[in-house]
Amino acid sequence: MTKLRHIITLWVAIAPFCLANAAATPACSRGYTLALHDHGLLYSADTDTGIDKDVAEELVRRSGCKVTVSVMPRARIWQLIESGALDFSMSGITNPERDKFAGFAWYFSNKYHLLVRKDSGVRNLTDFEQNDKLQLGVIRSFRYSESANRLVDKLHASNRVSQAGGLAPLYQTLMLNHIQGMIIEPFDFPALEEKKIRDITSIIEFNDRSVPHGLIMSKKALPAEEQERWRLLINQMRTDGSLRRIFETYFKPDQAAAMVNF
Amino acid sequence: MVWDHECKSTQKALHSQFDFALRETVSRIEQRVVAYEQLLRGVQGLLAVNGLNHRAGIHKYVETLQLDANFSGVKEIGVEMWVPLGFSSWSDPVRRLAMEKARDSGMAAISGKVRLLVDTQKNPQPGFIMYLPVFAQGTPRETISQRREHLIGWVFASFHMNDFMASLYGKQSPGLTLSVYDNIELTEDALLYQSAPDHNGGDRGPRTDITAREYMVVAGHTWTLAMGTQPEFETRYGRDASDVVAVIGLILSVSLALLAWLMINGRTRALRLAANMTEELRHMAQHDTLTNLPNRALFSDRLNHELARAKRDNGRFALIFLDLDKFKHVNDNLGHAIGDQLLQQVAQRLLTTIRAVDTAGRLGGDEFVVLMTGLGDTDAVIGMAEKIRQTLGQPFMVDGHQLAISGSLGVAVYPEDGITEIDITKSADDAMYRAKESGGDKIAFAVSHNSKASRISI
Repeated sequence: MTKLRHIITLWVAIAPFCLANAAATPACSRGYTLALHDHGLLYSADTDTGIDKDVAEELVRRSGCKVTVSVMPRARIWQLIESGALDFSMSGITNPERDKFAGFAWYFSNKYHLLVRKDSGVRNLTDFEQNDKLQLGVIRSFRYSESANRLVDKLHASNRVSQAGGLAPLYQTLMLNHIQGMIIEPFDFPALEEKKIRDITSIIEFNDRSVPHGLIMSKKALPAEEQERWRLLINQMRTDGSLRRIFETYFKPDQAAAMVNF
Repeated sequence: MVWDHECKSTQKALHSQFDFALRETVSRIEQRVVAYEQLLRGVQGLLAVNGLNHRAGIHKYVETLQLDANFSGVKEIGVEMWVPLGFSSWSDPVRRLAMEKARDSGMAAISGKVRLLVDTQKNPQPGFIMYLPVFAQGTPRETISQRREHLIGWVFASFHMNDFMASLYGKQSPGLTLSVYDNIELTEDALLYQSAPDHNGGDRGPRTDITAREYMVVAGHTWTLAMGTQPEFETRYGRDASDVVAVIGLILSVSLALLAWLMINGRTRALRLAANMTEELRHMAQHDTLTNLPNRALFSDRLNHELARAKRDNGRFALIFLDLDKFKHVNDNLGHAIGDQLLQQVAQRLLTTIRAVDTAGRLGGDEFVVLMTGLGDTDAVIGMAEKIRQTLGQPFMVDGHQLAISGSLGVAVYPEDGITEIDITKSADDAMYRAKESGGDKIAFAVSHNSKASRISI
């Protein structure tokens, strides 16, 4: 009887923890879909490697769910997230419009920069804005930090923005002087060195705070409590250092720490 | 000023429609590429299970696909075996680049512009090829080196670009020209596709200023889309103020002709003909269709008349600009139908508040204007502005909803606050903006040219 009482006592003590843990993982009631987009160190379609892929794989492993991963343009990703046809994507940033249809689980943060050709004569954001001859390249559907968005919107109204489906054509057109500036993030830097872009360009800061990026979850496809479970998995990856280790594969330790500790 | 505003609005509407058309075109092309990729994945799957030598099976599979007009872009579906010593496609650098990309990524890759092997005629359509790698069954392919090691070949589909573009779903907006180039250089050699000349025949005619280039990435390859507008686009999608101007011009021309006729043939007959003029046409050209108040064009005309009169007679008049507070909230929460009815009621209240000699007009959106003529002193305009403010402060009943709004009013007086149409309207507009900025439900007066301090009514 005493032994039984001990067992019952132990179960009563640990049951809430077990039940909470069971409740914490996603239900896996169906197969899910996740889309990656080609963007520098986040993901390269050429090599099928990247931070987003590593984070996604670890997330899927921890969830125990079946997730089909595909690659598509970012604009298409946002469209399908909004319609509910796509469950997840990676490294998204929020804004009031996106908040209406997407939930997020943050896993890193970074600032945006304006990369300009040295021969454009641009020393600051105002120089770029005021020179009608300068064209800015952006990736379709991308949004950035506040000042960057303001610059993009203003130039777009004056037909001074060229859109692209990815980074590769933006680098090419920058080298050929078809565009004179583009907005970049830290995971674009290695490509700048590799493609000799850094030699002919300079970097201008946007005076904005670092912007959180996260797992994107479709509100139409995933109920709030389900989103919370996936968010918990991301938070666990942050807490136990898994995220930092993934980032350290691609960045120096101090850079990785700066991005994941926010 | 009115014409300039209408021109800017028209341009904005055109740019917006153009942006939409560009976005739609990009999406249609991307989705078509994805559809063809999925088609190839079926063949890839079959080969992965049965091996590359199972040609009869591939042939049967492709037949069952029933590639009808929906897939008219596909010229050929085939298999390339990986032969280390080389093979014909491998020796072509354009094809080889795409095959290598497909192999290393494990995904579909599109080639640059090529002449298809099936083309024997002199000037064939530009073509491209989509490759999907096939790996030995059961082998790992997580890394580039594993994929290279276990590659057994590729499945491919070749396309004529014109036929590919013809198979896009949806319809291209009329009045647009479209060209697609291989990679980012817009040269004749790189041209993959060019849309047909317009219906005006032969050359595409003069283009408007709206052009754009979009650098698409499809299956790992860059295409540049160059789109531009033609006059048909502007005609179809521009907010055409020229109709209003044309109608007014027509009316004025007819009026002048009638005046001349009057002088020749007698007043009575001319007046009868004038009365028989299409009143409805004139009214439509000069009045806001929602509220029936004078529109910008007519209001500007009356303002200029009053300016001329005041200059001649050393008189005074006042302009009151009115912007509704909280109107956006009504539109956003109760819908545009309620919003429209509210605007109609506001217009009616204005008409019952102003004097018979005054003019109330609607400038657009939730902006109205009142012209007070034959002004004695500024007390009259202060009184009128306050009357308008108070009447707008009374609740409105619209479709069962009780709505509480208010107005921000800006007042400018001739000649103190401006002696030209531009100056006096700017003064009133600036004053209205200050009333708005200080919380709304207020009257602000223009800073006069005599440097009197502006006053904001609380």
